[in-house]
Amino acid sequence: MIEQYIPVFLVVAFAIIFAVVVVFSSKILGPQRPTPEKLSTYESGMKPVGSTHERVSVKYYLVAMLFIIFDLEVIFVYPWAVQFKNLFHEIGTSVFFSMLIFLIVLELGYLYVYKKGGFKWD
Amino acid sequence: MEFKDLLLNSIKENLHGFEFVASEFRDELTLSFNKKDILRVCHALKNNPDLSFSFCEDITAVDWSRRTNRYTVVYHIFSMKNKFRLRLQCDVDENDCSIDSVSTVWKTADWEERETYDMYGINFNNHPDLRRMYMPEEFEYYPLRKDFPLMGIPGSLPLPKK
Amino acid sequence: MGLEAKLKQDGFFTTTIDALAAWSRKNSVWPMPMGISCCAIEMMAVGDPKFDIARFGSEVMRFTPRQCDLMIVAGTVTYKMAHVVKKIFDQMPEPKWVIAMGACTSSGGMYRSYNVVQGIDQFLPVDVYLAGCPPRPENLLNALIQIQEKIGKTRVRDYPDQPLEPQTIQQN
Repeated sequence: MIEQYIPVFLVVAFAIIFAVVVVFSSKILGPQRPTPEKLSTYESGMKPVGSTHERVSVKYYLVAMLFIIFDLEVIFVYPWAVQFKNLFHEIGTSVFFSMLIFLIVLELGYLYVYKKGGFKWD
Repeated sequence: MEFKDLLLNSIKENLHGFEFVASEFRDELTLSFNKKDILRVCHALKNNPDLSFSFCEDITAVDWSRRTNRYTVVYHIFSMKNKFRLRLQCDVDENDCSIDSVSTVWKTADWEERETYDMYGINFNNHPDLRRMYMPEEFEYYPLRKDFPLMGIPGSLPLPKK
Repeated sequence: MGLEAKLKQDGFFTTTIDALAAWSRKNSVWPMPMGISCCAIEMMAVGDPKFDIARFGSEVMRFTPRQCDLMIVAGTVTYKMAHVVKKIFDQMPEPKWVIAMGACTSSGGMYRSYNVVQGIDQFLPVDVYLAGCPPRPENLLNALIQIQEKIGKTRVRDYPDQPLEPQTIQQN
C-alpha cells in the first residue's frame, strides 16, 4: 500500500532539496562585500522618512478572519457535492437535509456578523 | 471698440493717481509703472468683471546690470474671458530689493514668485512661503543674475565622492 | 561565503570555473534603468520587441538596485540628482558595471551650466560611454555587448569577500 505513495514522497523531497539549494547556494557562492551604504534601506535614493513600524488598520484582520471561516465552510461542501449521487441512492433525502442544517447554522452566524456591522468597511 | 481701448479707459476710470507707461510691440501691450502700485493694480485687473484677468501666466525678472533700478519684475497675465494677454513691468532697485507679493490675488503667483526669488534674489513682501525652489536650500548665490558665472562657483554645489 | 573566489591557481579546474562563472554572469546581465531624462525613452525602446534586449539576457529591468548587475544612467544628471544616483549605485551588490548613456552623462552634453554634472565619471566608475543625443537603441545594444565582452574576461578571484568593518551601522 505504501508503494503507491513513493512518487509523492519523491516530489516532496525534490521540492525541499530544490528550495534549499537555490536559497543557500547564493549565500555560498558569490562575493559578500557588505558596506554601510550598501546595507542602508532603499527608498529611491533618498534618505528614508517615516518609521518602519507603521500601524495597519484592524479591518484587514477582520476581513481575513471572516474569509477563512466561510471558505472552510465551502470546502466542506465540495466532497459532499461529489458524493451526493451515491449517498442519495444509499440513504435517501437525509443527505440533503443534513447539509441544509449545516448551512443554516453557519448562515445564522453570517446574519449575526451582518447585524453587528462586521461587513462595513469603514 | 477693441479690448485694448476698453482696458485703458477702465484703468483711467477706476484707478486714480496711477501713472503708467503703455507700450506696444507686435500686438502685445505692456504697462510699466512704479512697484508700489502693483497690488492695487492686480486686484483691480482681476476683480473687474469686464476685464477679469483671472490667470497669472508667469512672473519673472530681468537683470539689466545697471546702477539704478537694476531689476525689472515682469508679470504676464491673461484674461480668459476676453482672450487678452497683458504684460506688467515694475522696476526694482538693488538697494531695496523687494516688491509686494501678488499671491493673494492669484494662487499661481505663489510658486512663480518663489522661482523668481530663487533665481534673482528679489524679496516678495507678505509671501506665504518664500524659499528656494530649484537650487538646494543652502545655496548662497542667485544664479540668473548677471554677475553669476555660467559654470557656477566651484564647490558651491556638493557632489558625492567617487 | 564566496567559495569560488578562493581558487587562486590557474589549473584546468579553476579556469573552467572562471569560464562558467563569467559565461553565466555575462548572459544574464539585469540592468537597473536609471532613466532620468530623454535617453530613458531610447532605453524603453530597447526594452520593447523591436530592439529586444531580453534576447541578450537582460530579461527584466528591475527597478530595485538589489537585484541588478548593470546600471544604465540615461539622462542629464544634475548636482541634486547626483546624490540619488550615487546612493542607488552604492546599494547594488557586487559585481556591478555602469553604462553612461548619451552625451549628458558622458560629458555634460549640451548643458554647459552650473547645475549639470559635466560627466558622471566625476562620481561613478563608468565602464562604457555611449555617444548620441539620444543614442540609437542599436547603440545601447552595442554597449551591452561590449559590457558582456568585458564581463567575459573577468575571473572569479576579482571579486573576493570583504567582511564588514566593525562599526555601528547607521541608517542614513
